Amino acid sequence: MTAQSNVLEKPNSSKNLIKYFIVLAVFLGALWLSFQNESPSKFPKEITDGFTFTAWVNDGEDYLKKNYRWITKIIASYIKEGYYFLEDFLIDSPWLLITAILFLPCLIAGGLRLGLYSLFVVYFWGAVGMWDESMQTLALMGLSVLLCVFFGVSLGVLCSQSDRFENFMKPILDTMQVMPAFVYLFPALFFFGIGGAPAILATMIYAMPPIIRLTNSGIRQVSKETIESATSFGSSKLQLLFKIKIPLSLPSIMMGINQVIMMALALVVLACFIGAEGIGGQVWLAIRNLDVGWAMEGGLCILFMAILFDRFSMSFSKDKETIPSDVQKFYLLPQSWEKFQIARILEKPLSFAHYIIKYICEKTTNLVGYVFKYLISLFNKDTAEEIGEFISKRYYLIPSFIVFFIIVLIDAFVVNIGSFPSEWKLSIRQPIADTVKSLTVNPSFIAFTKGLRAFVYLNLLRPLDTFLTHIPWWYTMGIFTAIGYFAVGLRFAFVTILLLLFIGACGIWTQSMITLSSVLVSVTLCFAVGVPLGIIASYNQRFRDILNVILDAMQTLPYFCYLIPVLMFFGGGTVSAVLATVIYSIPPIIRLTSLGLTQVSGSYSEVSRSFGGTLIQTLNKVKFPLAIPSLVIGFNQTVIMAFAMQIVTPLIGGKGLGLEVFNGLARSDTGRGLAAGIGIVLMAIIIDRISLAWTKKQRIALGLEKN
Amino acid sequence: MKLSKKISTLILSFVLILGTFSQANAKRLTAAVADWTGGEITCQVAVSMLEEELGYKVKRVVFPSGTGLWEAIAAGEIDFACESWPSYAEADTVMMKGPLVYDGKTMFNYEGDGSIELLGTTGIIGLSDYYIPRYAAESLGIKSWKDLNKHKDKFASIESGSKGRLIACPVAGWNCHDQKRLDLLGIDFQADELGTEAAAIAEAVAAYERKEPFLLYLWEPHWFFGAYDMVGVNLPAHKVCDSFTEANNWKDCGTAAWPATGWAKDYTFNYGNPETFAKAEHAKARAFFKKMKFDNADQAVMLVEVKQKNRDLKEVVKEWKDANPDKWRSWIPN
Repeated sequence: MTAQSNVLEKPNSSKNLIKYFIVLAVFLGALWLSFQNESPSKFPKEITDGFTFTAWVNDGEDYLKKNYRWITKIIASYIKEGYYFLEDFLIDSPWLLITAILFLPCLIAGGLRLGLYSLFVVYFWGAVGMWDESMQTLALMGLSVLLCVFFGVSLGVLCSQSDRFENFMKPILDTMQVMPAFVYLFPALFFFGIGGAPAILATMIYAMPPIIRLTNSGIRQVSKETIESATSFGSSKLQLLFKIKIPLSLPSIMMGINQVIMMALALVVLACFIGAEGIGGQVWLAIRNLDVGWAMEGGLCILFMAILFDRFSMSFSKDKETIPSDVQKFYLLPQSWEKFQIARILEKPLSFAHYIIKYICEKTTNLVGYVFKYLISLFNKDTAEEIGEFISKRYYLIPSFIVFFIIVLIDAFVVNIGSFPSEWKLSIRQPIADTVKSLTVNPSFIAFTKGLRAFVYLNLLRPLDTFLTHIPWWYTMGIFTAIGYFAVGLRFAFVTILLLLFIGACGIWTQSMITLSSVLVSVTLCFAVGVPLGIIASYNQRFRDILNVILDAMQTLPYFCYLIPVLMFFGGGTVSAVLATVIYSIPPIIRLTSLGLTQVSGSYSEVSRSFGGTLIQTLNKVKFPLAIPSLVIGFNQTVIMAFAMQIVTPLIGGKGLGLEVFNGLARSDTGRGLAAGIGIVLMAIIIDRISLAWTKKQRIALGLEKN
Repeated sequence: MKLSKKISTLILSFVLILGTFSQANAKRLTAAVADWTGGEITCQVAVSMLEEELGYKVKRVVFPSGTGLWEAIAAGEIDFACESWPSYAEADTVMMKGPLVYDGKTMFNYEGDGSIELLGTTGIIGLSDYYIPRYAAESLGIKSWKDLNKHKDKFASIESGSKGRLIACPVAGWNCHDQKRLDLLGIDFQADELGTEAAAIAEAVAAYERKEPFLLYLWEPHWFFGAYDMVGVNLPAHKVCDSFTEANNWKDCGTAAWPATGWAKDYTFNYGNPETFAKAEHAKARAFFKKMKFDNADQAVMLVEVKQKNRDLKEVVKEWKDANPDKWRSWIPN
């Protein structure tokens, strides 16, 4: 309590004054120095010429290509084979079969509501004419999820069995999770070329950490009593693992699979940059053509797909709610509407249908079971018994397969079902494009967008750009090192120097400063918009609910979809790049502001109110200081996301390191692309570490965490 | 154990799906989608011939054009790409071997290592330059690029400050070296790379509607010239500079040669992976590429349909194909 009350009092003011004075002096020094320079500050030529990282990488690549390419080629060709197989199957099969394959599992696992939703999603893919592309994305995702689950669960089980292996994996998993997704694409490109195979491999690396962790922790959390009782019954170590531990940790593993699916979808879409097919490529083509409607269709396909798989995999890890037997079970409407007469009447036929389907399923399954049992019993009675029992237990599986089989038979012998009927097509491309066009020719709207563009560029972006690029490099480096030293410690200060030296020596200092400036401007704008929204959300429950739905949707979309709305209204250019970054990276700051404020609201704000503090005073003097750690975490996430976004902004005119990465890719200059990619990651890491250390200090100061 | 039941359901269904069906493999080729509309049309024409007349299944990959694409094709990851413009490709002299033949005449002889095969000219002849709208040329009296500096303030934008602004070659992989050219020629303009053709054209259209002067990098055939009245600034005639390569650290030849000059007249060609096209099963595809001869006028008509009337590219190509069988019948090998 003492530590907390300290914050409520005035902090030690003279010490603070000195601190502010030093910061001001450093800033003024930087300003003065930046005005001294006519042209952007450059790293000394001796260093950049001597440190030919780009050439080393390119030589290394040539060497690898010459000597080891055959290995990676074999791996890639196996994966490619599998991928082509799956893709051919999905695209060439009659569309009704694919629909059934998606619909029935959803119906069985998630009930009628999810089933209907899955039908809608499938319809949408076909209706907007992206059936083939959706199937390609599905194939890429399906294959990478399968591989991820297989390797992830195996590694997780290994981790749970050996502490040494867990300690070995932990730092690797940490690094894997800090890295932005696109970083994986480059090494994949480097080793496995372009196309579906490297996309799948990159996705595996990206999406595996959560399932490894969750499998590991799930197995480790199996209670001691259970294990003891199992051992006392004489089960061996392997038996214990496969019969007790893994089954008991299944909910945790399912949660891991859910995360794997979501992450895989995000990266598979992004993998269009290394030549993977699918919806991602369509969105990219649409952006290239400035076709907003087209891009929107692609974005919606991805969004619906993401929600479908999220709900589907969630339905496995969620417990089914039990309903008392005297209450009518609802299949379509929310159960809480049970009190309305009309809802009960509407649900009646559904219950009836459910009853009939269940009856048919049970009968057919038993029949099939019986037939198999009979056939096999001609050879071996015991196996027959087991198999018969196995089949007759699976009431859903067997009928599903019968449905698939019937569809295939109809397609082969009765009518050719073929691909999605083109009469059902429903293009929303033109209406969207027309709406946007009518808005963009509206004079007051033009004035608004132009004004915003000019304001952001003239008042924020250009001054910061010139400021950061014109400060001598050693000065900037010194500031970062000092911050690193005071916030984290001596060791980190050294690391900072090394990392920044690397960036400078690669000859990308100016570009990194441009990237830094657009990230800073984006983050500032995120704060300017996000914090007020967070405050409103913390006071208003309904607003918060609505906001949460929107933010959830925003976080499931892959990140270059955010280019679309910006492109619609603002056209291309550096300012548009900044605005797209803002839209992408704003969710964490809104969420964490509202979270931080609602967490402290309870007792403290009441105390403050009872002392006669006004709403503003309470917010300003009590809530904000206490919410700072949460805000800093929000800042931290926002910065990381803003850096990650830099990789796609060149598509709409962004500059800096992202453009370097693109140029590297287009010119086949792997070293250049890699250096710029690493540059983005390094800057993100430096800022991440500093802000995390600062949060920790704040939390300690607030007494929320022990030193 | 409900959960494990469901999981086994899932896994079993996957195994069964994978095991039961397998389709007969069609002949398959992978093509890169060009990143400018003209190229997309040429490619769609070639692809529709391969798919509809020769029984191929062509996968189209979105990949930025440039040396990266050339290397991907050499590595066999993509089988072919369409409508390469020689003066934009930097890898062509290094990677291709053999003559570039147009209309029976040899235009250029490549002496590279042969890791890329020149499949044949497309029939499209390209021209590139910097252009200004006619109203600006007349009111300001600009006759050639030498007059640009006098009026640079009229061409300035918020971003370019006191310099003029060139709506430059949008894609880095096209190797236009716009800023370098401007600097070498002493034109005090800033080259603004907007990332896509569509973005650059959108800027130009907006400026034209406001009747503002603007300097635009563009090429023919392009639909923009049909809709808007533009005049070229007559950059110095194309001349090759031997030292301007990555190996030489981009040492330019001053104002004597590229990139201080304009572009050459481009006899565009299709190119592909030599190993793929050496296979007997792809002999027909190879013969088709040798014979293909699309032309500027047809492409220009289709460009207007696709870009100005906003129609689906595949539809437009199909229409052309149905309406002009006499033009393409001769390309199809027997």
